[in-house]
Amino acid sequence: MRESSSVPEEIKFRLHYLWIFIIISFTMLVVVLWYFQLVKGEELAQKAVENCIRTLVEDAPRGEIYDRNNKLLVTNRPAVVVSVIPGEVEDLEGLSERLGEILAISPREIKDKIKEYYVNPFKTVKIFDDCNINEVIEIEERQDELKGVVLEIQPRRKYLYQDLAAHSLGYVGEINREELERVNASEFQGGDIIGKAGLEKYYDNILRGEKGGKEVEVDALGREITTLLYRKPIPGKDIVLTIDQELQQFGENLLTEKKGVIIVSDANSGEIITLVSKPSYNPNVFVGGITPEEWKRLSTDPDYPLSNRSIQGTYSPGSTFKVVTAIAALEEGITDKNREIYCSGKFKLSDQVFKCWKEGGHGKLDIIGGISHSCNIYFYTLGQDLGIEKMNKYMQKIGFGEEVAIDLPAQSLGTIPSAGWKQREFNEIWYPGDTVNLSIGQGYLLITPFQLHNVITTIATEGIIYKYHLLKEIISSDGKLEKQSQPEIYRKMEFYPNTIKLIKEGLRDTILEGTGWRVNIKELEIFGKTGTAQNPQGETHAWFMGYVQNDDSPLCITVFIENGGDGSEAAAPIAREMIEKYFNIPKEKNPKISYLKNKDAFSIIGG
Amino acid sequence: MKRDLGRLSENIDYTLLITVVILCFFGLIVLYSSTRMTTLGGDGYFYVKRQIEWMVIGYAILITTLLVDYHFVEKYSGLFYVAAFVLLAMIFFSGRTTYGARRWLLIGPFEFQPSEFAKLALIVFLADFLNKNREKLESFLYFLIPFGYTGIFILMVFKQPDLGTSMVYLAILVIMLFVAGARIKYLLTVFVVALSSIPLLWIFLKDYQKNRIILFLNPNIDPLGGGYNVIQSRIAIGSGGLFGKGLFGGLQSQLHFLPAQHTDFIFSVVGEELGFLGTLFLLGLYAIILWRGIKIAREAKDLLGSLLASGAVAFLLFHILVNIGMALGVLPATGLPLPFLSYGGTFMISNFIVIGMLLNVEIHKIKM
Repeated sequence: MRESSSVPEEIKFRLHYLWIFIIISFTMLVVVLWYFQLVKGEELAQKAVENCIRTLVEDAPRGEIYDRNNKLLVTNRPAVVVSVIPGEVEDLEGLSERLGEILAISPREIKDKIKEYYVNPFKTVKIFDDCNINEVIEIEERQDELKGVVLEIQPRRKYLYQDLAAHSLGYVGEINREELERVNASEFQGGDIIGKAGLEKYYDNILRGEKGGKEVEVDALGREITTLLYRKPIPGKDIVLTIDQELQQFGENLLTEKKGVIIVSDANSGEIITLVSKPSYNPNVFVGGITPEEWKRLSTDPDYPLSNRSIQGTYSPGSTFKVVTAIAALEEGITDKNREIYCSGKFKLSDQVFKCWKEGGHGKLDIIGGISHSCNIYFYTLGQDLGIEKMNKYMQKIGFGEEVAIDLPAQSLGTIPSAGWKQREFNEIWYPGDTVNLSIGQGYLLITPFQLHNVITTIATEGIIYKYHLLKEIISSDGKLEKQSQPEIYRKMEFYPNTIKLIKEGLRDTILEGTGWRVNIKELEIFGKTGTAQNPQGETHAWFMGYVQNDDSPLCITVFIENGGDGSEAAAPIAREMIEKYFNIPKEKNPKISYLKNKDAFSIIGG
Repeated sequence: MKRDLGRLSENIDYTLLITVVILCFFGLIVLYSSTRMTTLGGDGYFYVKRQIEWMVIGYAILITTLLVDYHFVEKYSGLFYVAAFVLLAMIFFSGRTTYGARRWLLIGPFEFQPSEFAKLALIVFLADFLNKNREKLESFLYFLIPFGYTGIFILMVFKQPDLGTSMVYLAILVIMLFVAGARIKYLLTVFVVALSSIPLLWIFLKDYQKNRIILFLNPNIDPLGGGYNVIQSRIAIGSGGLFGKGLFGGLQSQLHFLPAQHTDFIFSVVGEELGFLGTLFLLGLYAIILWRGIKIAREAKDLLGSLLASGAVAFLLFHILVNIGMALGVLPATGLPLPFLSYGGTFMISNFIVIGMLLNVEIHKIKM
């Protein structure tokens, strides 16, 4: 091993010069560093602290929400927030004392908050939300003895009609840790306000806007000297809903003191005109942070006011489901317009006896009569002939067990039973009796009111389901129309023409001379079906689903009253009132009841 | 082979290697301090984790570069040049834009900066070229040929636009020419011509590049806009004093008054949090690396090795000087990262390859 270098001497010289250059340049750097850090260090350090730069966040106002007639539903109001910059507080005891006195809170609470929410000396800690004008004036006047206290104006959500359409609108709140981890963290910070439920959540990206802020130089007293950087907040976009505030309010009033749902939508566009879910809550209580007591009250209420029953509650559909059984039977060729079934009031399946709601029986009925009289025996027979597999197929086809295409978050799926499902859930085989029960909408099947609304819409449109939507328009912050919702086909179902025709006839007869007579309005052509669902929770659930044939597009309506009793008595009259209101039809003084003689019979299960 | 490796490792410059390791750890600590607050509620180690990944890849590549005798560049230097040219050209067609500059290229899932690769290719190409044509440099016309080769790269990144990187190419060329023994007279001539053509060059600069130079000359013209960076950076470094405010204690750094404080302005974080002693320590580490680099160049087996090592030194030296000078506001803000400290994948790997070049020249000086 020997080292041999063939590098010319001249090169070595040049490298030597390069090394000298390096030494000189590094020395110069050291001199400059020495000058800035040691000679001018004190001065610059002073500048860094005293010429203290504050970062002030300026929240973007969220977009406003309007109803379909441009009536303002949700807006923002300014709120004054009292915060403390921990690094600027000299005497915490005294400050808590004085500030507590002004805001009428205990000094202890102020000290605890500063300790608990402390991030760094320069990050403001919120002490008091939404203080009134007298408190603002007093804080401003006594600013010299309240060093470190800052007042910030923040936009706050205001729901003008209190609990109106609360479940659709939703509410806002501070982003929490889980949400921060889930979303793109660079866009959000702790303390940011985001939509937590309903449309506020679904359209959060549109409504939220982008917060701005500024970096300001402040003097020793915390007064702004100069603004270093300023970024204007970008306000959120406004949205116009398909909801009609007046009809919505009317519907909500009809359900006062009740638990239930009203859905009104336009069949050929998917626009939701009314969406009531009761009981409700006032989203204003969430603004600025809900109090623990209030939260406890809402979340433990046995009536679940926070739940949007229309898409989150799951219930037995009762007789309204007979329409689905009828569709399945017609499509599968189990029945046609000629098949008549004799109802004696009883249906025997080996040793079990299933009854019709009409004790003496209906006698001979075809499919139209079966639907309009809601005859149990008729549908037991169809169900038995179909079997669970085929029934299951049509339940899926019609959209049970899956989310409805609608612009609201957090839907329940419900339960569609099948032999396999029962095996998994209960480790039991599927009995023929289960099918019979299912054929009239009793037993294991659970659906949301909106899933049922989807059934009536399907019939009204003869198989075309448009995406349901509450959003009508998006308006940019400078007032320009940015987007207008267009009808969008979500799903197309093929039926034999006869299927729809016979079902429609059955639904029309239901209104004219059957269980839906209470909805009959002579000026209008109305179709519908009532339902009364037994359930383990007690009193039966009342259902009505129907539509009004209309020049533009059928108007679909579903009414559900939880533990409301009989569909014909409890749900149908509400539907009638809604339709009258929508079409501006004066109330009949003495409504002619075409089917009076049998009226009492309808208060029995199955009607 | 095993015996060869054993002999190679006996001969490796451990001073250089250990200094690089210390520098890496130092860099990670500073990086953590400057990025831990960037995502409230997020992962404070996000940047550090990725930087560690790149460092590990960097070490792996460094070791790989040691396996091949540097003389292979005699055959392939042209290929390096062409590859860099093609990659730079590709940027025109598929480059990704960040901060208004097209510098990135996506290759599969990887993003990288061709202009960074071109720095390394240029070192290799020039080392081979100057080694083969050293005698001919006596002629002024021949002396201009490497300027032509380098000029093509400079024009290509200048269009992107990336003023800093084009300066790196120029610095590598000038330092390598100087080491190769080019006449001082020629170098001075080029310098004078370049200086007098600056007004002409001015026409081709983008507005923001002009602004940077104007602001460099006087940052107080626009304290809220472009001059803001320099002022904040100077306040940060200066306020560090002798001992600094301690890690995580920097007012400016922790409050993010410093822009790009984990990339181009990371030196300000060192200055503020670790003070004069910290910056001195960092400069010391760099000085050791450069010293070993010069030593390797002087003791190389042949001219090719010597020139490769000089190119590596030029690369490191220029980045260090310009980056720190920029943080102190004594040089214009051209956006060059600081070796082993600034956050960024392609650059980190470049740093390791450059160290790999030095070590390669070092271990192959022995006849085997």
